[in-house]
Amino acid sequence: MSKEQFTIPIGPQHPALKEPGHFTLTVDGEVVTGASVRLGYAHRGIEKAVESRNWVQDLYLLERICGICSHIHATAYCLGVEKLAGVTAPPRAQAIRVLVAELERIHSHLLWLGVAAHQAGFDTLFMYSWRDRETVMEVLEQLTGNRVNYSANLLGGVKFDVDTRVLETILSGLDFLETRTHHYLDIVSGDRIFLQRTRGIGMMTSEQAERLGVTGPTARASGVRRDIRVDAPYAAYDRYPIQVVVETTGDLEARFIVRLKELLETYHLIRTLLDGLPEGDLKTRMPRRIAAGETISRVEAPRGELFYFIKSDGGDQPARIKVRTPTLSNMASVTQLAVGHQLADMPMLLTGIDPCFSCNDRLTTVQTSGESETWTWEKLRQYGIASYRERG
Amino acid sequence: MKIETMLRDIIQSLFHKPVTELYPAQRQPTPQRLRGKLRWNPEKCTGCCLCVKDCPCSAIELITIDKDNKRFVMRYDAGRCTFCAQCVQNCRFNCLEMSSEDWELAAMDKALFTVTYGREEDVQSLLGCVAPTGDPAGE
Ligand code: SF4
Ligand code: SF4
Repeated sequence: MSKEQFTIPIGPQHPALKEPGHFTLTVDGEVVTGASVRLGYAHRGIEKAVESRNWVQDLYLLERICGICSHIHATAYCLGVEKLAGVTAPPRAQAIRVLVAELERIHSHLLWLGVAAHQAGFDTLFMYSWRDRETVMEVLEQLTGNRVNYSANLLGGVKFDVDTRVLETILSGLDFLETRTHHYLDIVSGDRIFLQRTRGIGMMTSEQAERLGVTGPTARASGVRRDIRVDAPYAAYDRYPIQVVVETTGDLEARFIVRLKELLETYHLIRTLLDGLPEGDLKTRMPRRIAAGETISRVEAPRGELFYFIKSDGGDQPARIKVRTPTLSNMASVTQLAVGHQLADMPMLLTGIDPCFSCNDRLTTVQTSGESETWTWEKLRQYGIASYRERG
Repeated sequence: MKIETMLRDIIQSLFHKPVTELYPAQRQPTPQRLRGKLRWNPEKCTGCCLCVKDCPCSAIELITIDKDNKRFVMRYDAGRCTFCAQCVQNCRFNCLEMSSEDWELAAMDKALFTVTYGREEDVQSLLGCVAPTGDPAGE
C-alpha cells in the first residue's frame, strides 16, 4: 500500500539552524522516514586562499576557519609546519598550547550545552550555562587578550606566558566552573522533563559509530574509545595524560554526559599542567622557507578529530593545505539516525553532534565538461560570484 | 528523577545583582593584554619592513620619506587589522605595540580607520604630496 509522503525542506536559512545547511526530510505523519543533507553554503575558499599567502599569514587565516575552536586549528597547523621544518617548539610553549586548547574546550562545551538546552526548550539551562561560560571567556581574555581568535600561537612557539596574575584567574575560574559542571551533570542526568528529550533518542551503537566514522564526544558517547590526545599525543599531551571519558548508552543523554564529564577531566588536566609548567623559552626560530615535503597533523578539537594535510614545495608559501573538520565526519550520523524519529527531535539530533557548518564547508561541486583545466584566481572568483547568485 | 532542577538557581538569582554588563554606561576595566589599536614609534624604526611582510591582511604600510636618515611614516588601517599582534612579534626594535585602552574603534566613515603615524613633519610632508586619507593629524 503506497502512502503519500511529505518532504520537508529545512534550511539553508532556518530558525533552528545557526548556520546555513540544507536538510531534506521525508515524513510519514510526524515520523521521519528519510533524510539527506546538503552542505557547502558557507564555502569560503580558504584552502585556495592559503596558497597565495606566506606561512605566517596563513596561521591567522586558518585560525579563522572556526570562531569557536580557533586555537586548535592554529595548533594543528603550527604542529604540522614545525614538523615539516624540523623545528620543535619549546616545552613551555607546547604546554601553553595545551592550556589554551583545553580552556577553549571548556568554552566550546559550555557553549554547546547552552545551545543544546535551548534546542530542547530548556532555556533556563541555556541562560545559566552561558552566564558561567563568561568565566572561561574572561580567563581566556586575561591570558591572551581576546575572547575568541586568541592568536596565541606563533610558528615555533606561543605569544603569551602564564604569569602569577593569570594563574590565579585561571585557578579561581576553574574552581567555580567545576562546581557548576557537577550541578549541570546532575541536571542533564536527572531532570525528568529534559530526559524526555534526550534519553533513548538518537541511539547509536558502537558498531554504527565505527561504521559511520564519527569522532570526538559523539563517538565516545557510543562507547568508542577514541581520542587523539591519547591515541597520538601531540604538543604536551604526552606529559599531561587524560582519561578518556566513554559512555556506552549512545543516546543524546550520553552525549551530554560525555561532554560534561570531559569538562571535569579538562579541569583536572589544567591544574596538573599549571602545577608543573616547564620553565624556558616561549618560542624558537622558524625558517621563512619550509623544506619541501608533506605531512599530516591530527589534533583533538572539542568536536572530534581535526585533520590537516600540509604540503610544501620548499617556498615561503604552502603548496597545498587540506583541512577536514570533525563536523564532516559526524554529519553522516545525523541523516542515518534521523530515520524513525519524530520530526521535533531533528534539531536536537543535529545539535547532538555539535555541528559547525562554516568550518566544515571545504568543497563545492562544479560541473564541467569532464576535461581537467586549471583555473586562475580571477576565474574562480567570478565563478563563485555567479554560482552564489544563481543559487540565490 | 527530579523536576525543577534549576529552581534554586532562579531563586538565588533574585537576590543577586544582574550579571549583564551595562555597557556603555558602565565600563569594565580592560584586561592588560587586550589587543586594541596598533601604535608605532618612529624613533627606533629601521625600515626593515618585517612587520609589513607578515601582516595577514595588509593593514600596515611603511612609506619611506628619507631612507638614509631613517625617516619613515606608517599608514595603519584599523579597518583591515585583525589584531593578531604578529607585527608586534616581528619587530625586533619594539617599535610596535597594541593599546589595551584604545579598542572602541567603530566609525561611520571608512576613512577614519586609517591613521598615519610618524614624526609630525614627515606626516605633513607626506600628506602634502599624497591625497590625505583619514585622520591627518596622526597620533
Ligand atoms: S595586528 Fe596583525 S593584522 Fe593588525 S597590523 Fe599587526 S600584523 Fe597586521
Ligand atoms: S619591523 Fe619594526 S623596525 Fe622593521 S619596519 Fe616594522 S616597525 Fe620598523
